[in-house]
Amino acid sequence: MEALWAGIDNLASWPVLAAILIGSVGGLAIGAVPGIGPAIAIAILLPATVFLDDLVSLVLLLGVYGSSMYGGAIPAILINTPGTPVNALTTYDGYAMTRRGEAARALSLAYAASFFGGCFSIILGLSALMLFGPYLRDLGALFGQRDIFMAAALGAVLLVAAHRKTMGIAALLFGLGFLIAIIGRQTTRQIDRYTFDIEYLYPGFNLIVVIVGIFAISQALFLLTGKDTDPPHARLKGGLLRGFGELNRFKPVALISAGYGTIMGIIPGVGEFVAQFFSYSTARAMSRDPGKFGRGAPDGLIASEASNNAVPAAAMVPLLALGVPGEALTAMMMVVFFDAGIKPGPDIFDNNPDFLFSLFFALLIINVLVVITLLISTRHIARIIYIPNRLLGAFILILAFVGVFSIRNSFTDCMFAAGFGFLGFILRRLDWPLVPIVLGLVLGSIMIEKLTAGSGQIKTVVDLVNRPVSGTLFVVILIVIGVTIFTSLRTRRFEH
Amino acid sequence: MKSRASAKALKSAVRDAPMRTGVATRSFVSACPPARRINVEDVNDFRRTRGDLVFSIFMVCVALFFFAFFFTQTGWEDRKLPANMARYWMDQFGVTAPEGRLSRLGRIIKQGWFAPLVCVCILVPAALWNLQWAWRAHAWRARFKQPTAVGHELLQWLRALEFVAWFVAYTLLVPVLGYLVATLILGTALPWRLGYRGLRWFGICFAASFAIVLVFRSGLQIRTPVNIWLYDQLPQGLETFMQVWF
Repeated sequence: MEALWAGIDNLASWPVLAAILIGSVGGLAIGAVPGIGPAIAIAILLPATVFLDDLVSLVLLLGVYGSSMYGGAIPAILINTPGTPVNALTTYDGYAMTRRGEAARALSLAYAASFFGGCFSIILGLSALMLFGPYLRDLGALFGQRDIFMAAALGAVLLVAAHRKTMGIAALLFGLGFLIAIIGRQTTRQIDRYTFDIEYLYPGFNLIVVIVGIFAISQALFLLTGKDTDPPHARLKGGLLRGFGELNRFKPVALISAGYGTIMGIIPGVGEFVAQFFSYSTARAMSRDPGKFGRGAPDGLIASEASNNAVPAAAMVPLLALGVPGEALTAMMMVVFFDAGIKPGPDIFDNNPDFLFSLFFALLIINVLVVITLLISTRHIARIIYIPNRLLGAFILILAFVGVFSIRNSFTDCMFAAGFGFLGFILRRLDWPLVPIVLGLVLGSIMIEKLTAGSGQIKTVVDLVNRPVSGTLFVVILIVIGVTIFTSLRTRRFEH
Repeated sequence: MKSRASAKALKSAVRDAPMRTGVATRSFVSACPPARRINVEDVNDFRRTRGDLVFSIFMVCVALFFFAFFFTQTGWEDRKLPANMARYWMDQFGVTAPEGRLSRLGRIIKQGWFAPLVCVCILVPAALWNLQWAWRAHAWRARFKQPTAVGHELLQWLRALEFVAWFVAYTLLVPVLGYLVATLILGTALPWRLGYRGLRWFGICFAASFAIVLVFRSGLQIRTPVNIWLYDQLPQGLETFMQVWF
């Protein structure tokens, strides 16, 4: 209980509250603009966090992360264009409702479902912290270096397995990210790895330079070389509150979807897309009239929104409990932890339990704040949709410079960021996924760091898997690999 | 008589058939085909486009480049390994009983070349695997007479380089003109280049650029270049003011 009150107390400061407000309102606006996702916003904001207090930084990024999907539902429903990639399924039924003249009802339902999904996973997280807090303190003893290595390896395997049609590409880009992470001088043994005697490469690439290049600059180039879209103007008639009452009628769908979001968020490398797929499929299977799905079914909309908004709080679990980020956004947050000197991992339950409560309460406040903002100002936020894409591209480019240069006043950083941006642009053009590069950067570093730290205890190969946790995780890895190979072979057989 | 009757029947069939109107009266069907369940494949839907093969070949070259330099750029030359590696691995997996003390696996893992070896072991096979699929997709396109030329895609990549050049020029301009002036120039010139011309757009872009400088430089005090040529030309007081706030 002490940690709980300390956690609430941590939030009661002006900088933190300002960060919550800016992050959540900013995230809403960013989510509402098709073409800019939370990843780009977080990539641009990352360098600014260097100058801020660690809790302020994290709360700011959490605000963007937690609220962007609410914003993303607005263009998905009004103009059939998802604001963030995870709102793709929202277009199926949301836009159909708009075409029927029920835009306000669709938005209202989306907000209610998102709020339910978000709060569901946060409350679950908080309850788990309160109930199991004393036991979680012993988690540090249970998790050694080899266990965390194995958890990171599981994350990598799940990441590749989740990219079902692009597994080769995902593995390739994960390897590339991993390789970028190891370039530089190895500090313990003073061995230069792929530096080619270039002085700039001795300290290695700064993670933020790579992230800003791959996410922000590449998106700017993508928008700049594309065409402006002319989205249709949607009329918004009616109140936005009634969806909260209507959600009552779809309680089972909302509950199951939020549950899927929470579970999929906890599993590294899986995330919102698979959660949505499961939720939508289940909602369709549960529906008395499955033919309505794709034609404006409220339960389809609820399934999509409740599941994706349950993910942010759940995605914090592997990050905080194991120090292993499950997807790109939490991988970027990991950079803030690195800078702040806080080591997420099992020890955090013992050393900084109040910090955990602060983060979850911040997420709860963010959800409440976002819903209030949306109820008041959806009509104004909806106007953001109509900002021309290429103009946005120009300003993302300007913001990317601030982001990169401010890290260490280096023009070479800017040049490399431009290079990574061009690489990211080609990947976007070819529809190759960007997330494996970032996870390769972060998970690769974690894997090598933990393996090296635990090398003293590794006499034989068996020592890698002879602990209860590492052994279990290794078995899970084998199962995932086995299932992936089996399903791939079966799919190929059907295709032939 | 027979032909007249059949013509009459045809006419009446056409007249009585349900009228097929265009898009306007058809009920809206979203991107999710209602007749089909959503598969997990829809979540990761992916089609290889033109340019995929070229980039896949490039990625193989990158992987082979790092593989080629693995032996000279990773500390491999100073490796410390057991003399008989085949025997060592057999001992490790319990195939044979170790003679004497078994060298610790952790000692190998700790060496500098180990991480690059893991990377290369992921990168090279994955690049080759991907190239195989890219080649298959290319061959499929060629077989079914679909366009395979990459000229258009390469042109798009070159078009992006123009904006990379804008970014690099901006980066070089900041130490000469300062963050404020360089941002105002880029923030108005780039939209002009993109076709957002006229006083209204100029005003919007100017205000947006100025707001970015105010938020990031004046507000958050983010670091920008210190020695700026333009500021050096200003009177002392104004120079200090500009350096502190812009």
